[in-house]
Amino acid sequence: MSKMALSLTINGESHEVLVEPQRTLLDVLRTDLGLTGTKENCLDAECGVCTVLLDGAAVNACIVLAVQCRDRAVVTIEGLAVGAELHPLQRAFIDAGAVQCGYCIPGMILAARAFLDENPAPSEAEIREALAGNLCRCTGYQKIVDAVLGAAGAPAAARR
Amino acid sequence: MTARRIVGRSLPRMDAPGKVTGTAIYAADFALPGMLYGRVLRSRDPHGRLVRIDASRAARVRGVRVVLTAADVADVRYGGSVKDEEVFARERVRFAGQPLAAVAATSPEAAAEALGAIEAVVEPLPPIVDVTEALAAGAPLVHEGWASYTALPILHRDGNVCNRARIVVGDVERGFEEADRIFEHRFVTRSVHQGYTEPRAAVAQWDSAGQVTVWSNTQLPFEIQSTLSEILQVAPSKVRVVVPGVGGGFGGKLRVGVEHFAALLARKTGRAVKVMTTSEEELTAAYARQPAIVELRTGVTRDGRLLAREGRLWFDTGAFAGSGPGVASVATLMLAGPYRIPHLLLEGYAVYTNKTNFGSFRAPSGPQANFAVESQMDIIADALGLDPLDFRLKNIVREGEEGPTGQVLTAVGLEECLRKAAAAIGWHDRRPGPRRGKGIACGWWTTTGGSSGVYVKVNPDGTVALNTGAAEIGTAALTGAAQVLAEDLGVELADINVVSADTLSTPFDFGAQGSRTAFAVGNACRAAVADLKRQVLALAARQLGVDEGALELRDGAVVAPAEGKRMTLAELARISQASGGGLIAHGTFVAPPTPYDAKRVEGHVYPAFHSPSFHAHAVDLSVDTDTGEVTIHRYVVAQDVGFAMNPTYIEGQIEGGVAQGLGQALSEEIVYDAGRVLNANLTDYKMPTAVDVPRVESILVQHPSLVGPFGAKGVGEPPNIEPPAAVANAVASATGVRITSLPITAEKVALALRERER
Repeated sequence: MSKMALSLTINGESHEVLVEPQRTLLDVLRTDLGLTGTKENCLDAECGVCTVLLDGAAVNACIVLAVQCRDRAVVTIEGLAVGAELHPLQRAFIDAGAVQCGYCIPGMILAARAFLDENPAPSEAEIREALAGNLCRCTGYQKIVDAVLGAAGAPAAARR
Repeated sequence: MTARRIVGRSLPRMDAPGKVTGTAIYAADFALPGMLYGRVLRSRDPHGRLVRIDASRAARVRGVRVVLTAADVADVRYGGSVKDEEVFARERVRFAGQPLAAVAATSPEAAAEALGAIEAVVEPLPPIVDVTEALAAGAPLVHEGWASYTALPILHRDGNVCNRARIVVGDVERGFEEADRIFEHRFVTRSVHQGYTEPRAAVAQWDSAGQVTVWSNTQLPFEIQSTLSEILQVAPSKVRVVVPGVGGGFGGKLRVGVEHFAALLARKTGRAVKVMTTSEEELTAAYARQPAIVELRTGVTRDGRLLAREGRLWFDTGAFAGSGPGVASVATLMLAGPYRIPHLLLEGYAVYTNKTNFGSFRAPSGPQANFAVESQMDIIADALGLDPLDFRLKNIVREGEEGPTGQVLTAVGLEECLRKAAAAIGWHDRRPGPRRGKGIACGWWTTTGGSSGVYVKVNPDGTVALNTGAAEIGTAALTGAAQVLAEDLGVELADINVVSADTLSTPFDFGAQGSRTAFAVGNACRAAVADLKRQVLALAARQLGVDEGALELRDGAVVAPAEGKRMTLAELARISQASGGGLIAHGTFVAPPTPYDAKRVEGHVYPAFHSPSFHAHAVDLSVDTDTGEVTIHRYVVAQDVGFAMNPTYIEGQIEGGVAQGLGQALSEEIVYDAGRVLNANLTDYKMPTAVDVPRVESILVQHPSLVGPFGAKGVGEPPNIEPPAAVANAVASATGVRITSLPITAEKVALALRERER
């Protein structure tokens, strides 16, 4: 198939890419742009490791075509920290001990970010529901949930 | 003892910033310019004769650079304890998922298209779908040439059995004669996948000197080096294995999986080649946990003393032996349980079938054997009218007693684990409401031995490089080892920089397996510090003009308190660089052998548990008697970790291990029908999500090991052992219905409840 010229805005920066129309956002991020913080696994929107923000909403980049992102804002994990200053969610994940192998963590943090933007003072049950599309096999989710509660400004025990 | 500054504290793991910002590079992220993409054609048939394979059409697909089949690779059989594996099926196909060919192309799409263009003609044969069929009289052999394979001489092999491991203690028949009651039960478990979120991935590239470098997410770079050397028919020194980040392993990334395909395709094309598995390949052709059948016959006195046990566990090891012979050995120790039983006859079998080569999954054999043993403990307690906790306390092993093979047990924290878990769950009120019940289960596990080496180098700025052959697979074990190093060397954790897992430049390590990394690498660090201290003190003594005996190493400096003199490690490193080649120390560790009674074992490759850990799990749950659905209210783990090197990450191991164990207990199963997997995707293979997993309350019990650094024991695998048994016991407590097979699905519980009403 013939390639299309495409302008993508990723983490506030404009990128010109030449891609076939069937290529996914995930593939273009990782292969063309070297943004490998967005992870690859099931390619079927089942595991959530490729979660990015598209106009502020959490999406699985493995089932979004790059061409669908024209004129829209994409945020990946590389776009969260400001210089050396970590995003509060990134800080909270470290502080809560929520990181083990870390492969699910970029997707988790972005799913949490989109959720907290909508719901800044959630209960633990709401957080668990919001993260149910993101599989983690290392942590049992507990410290991840604590991290999100912490980032939302609540002492971990307050909203159980 | 001086106060500890670094070990025992919940310090943040060293690799966390890279992981939360997306800058940490995993094998799946690794890429080289001009890299090709490799894919593997796998058999759709579980068993058959490979009549013909024709790749000519595939080779002409646009973008394809090479197609390899068995005809293109050396005819070698490789493997761990039995050399029965081949890179591609040659004449016989032995499982649905077995590699038939591999392709390298300029894009993953072209590689996938080429797979579809390969003509493979397989003449189907009836598959052997389970252990029962494989052991039936006159069953066909999965490997007709089994006797000709190279294998560990101590294995007991016979046809479809690639090992029978045995423990014999006392006289089991006499034990049964003395028993007041004898209980016989059968338990069945299914295959479950490790479920790491990063697929297995490797990139390989050859250089002009004939050396191949393989970047892989393996847990065992040195084993991969040795296996690749066999497959590629080159010297081990020509194979360099480098491990970038690893996105979870849990035992599933121990053996060669994609590395050999990448290396073979790269050799043929002269280009770098990347191979990464799909979810379908993971669920059909990886190293998932063995399905098992367990039969237990246990004799007890009326007042609840265990007298005799005859136990057999049959593992479906699939088409190749792989980890099976070893896991069958470990199983016999698990069948004894952490109990005093004077008469034992325990056997573990690894049996060939036409399925994928099942492998090692976190505490291999542990959950299957423990599910049987701990379920039966509750059944017996109920039958004798004893409280399950009291019954266990009456029979558990205690300090100084013998394990099943005669090893002397030390640092036995089991009673404390049981009592603390029971107290935390509120055991006195076992049935707090209708259809609600509590269950308890306990067990023991090993801290795997093997050797570890480290180099410790002091940089000219006073920071310290820890160079280890071990891979960090997510457990924070290398943070734990670095804590040991920082503690002993008198520096801060932030001063340490870890370089790991490169077979060319890092010292040997037995690998990230068997809960051993923090334990063994930590001890190697202690040895390196002892060496480094000698160097540093000698150099400082010369520089400062004082006796070595007057010097101390603390706070990143050598001080002579009496003389009021001081030199920093940075100064000493710079002086050494200018005059003595720099400060570098080599530390090694190998776990001392654990003595056991060799007369008690046969066919056994793992006859004793090194620095064993002990643990108890307790759960409080409700069962919906209409739907059969289980809701967990509370889950408590009390684990004897010896010494809690970093409590936060030990809790993390416990929480994650329990979540994985609850998956096996309640929802996970690779479903086979006539040798084919029916649910090879992550929607139908049901791993727990954030809404499915309860909070886990961790109680860290600390009975220091005599061997581990600061008394630490292995902690990674144990939390995965007890969940199925604890849940089964709680379901029985809540409903009166005993489920003897895993997973304990809602459907299974509902049917059992209906069955009882009839």
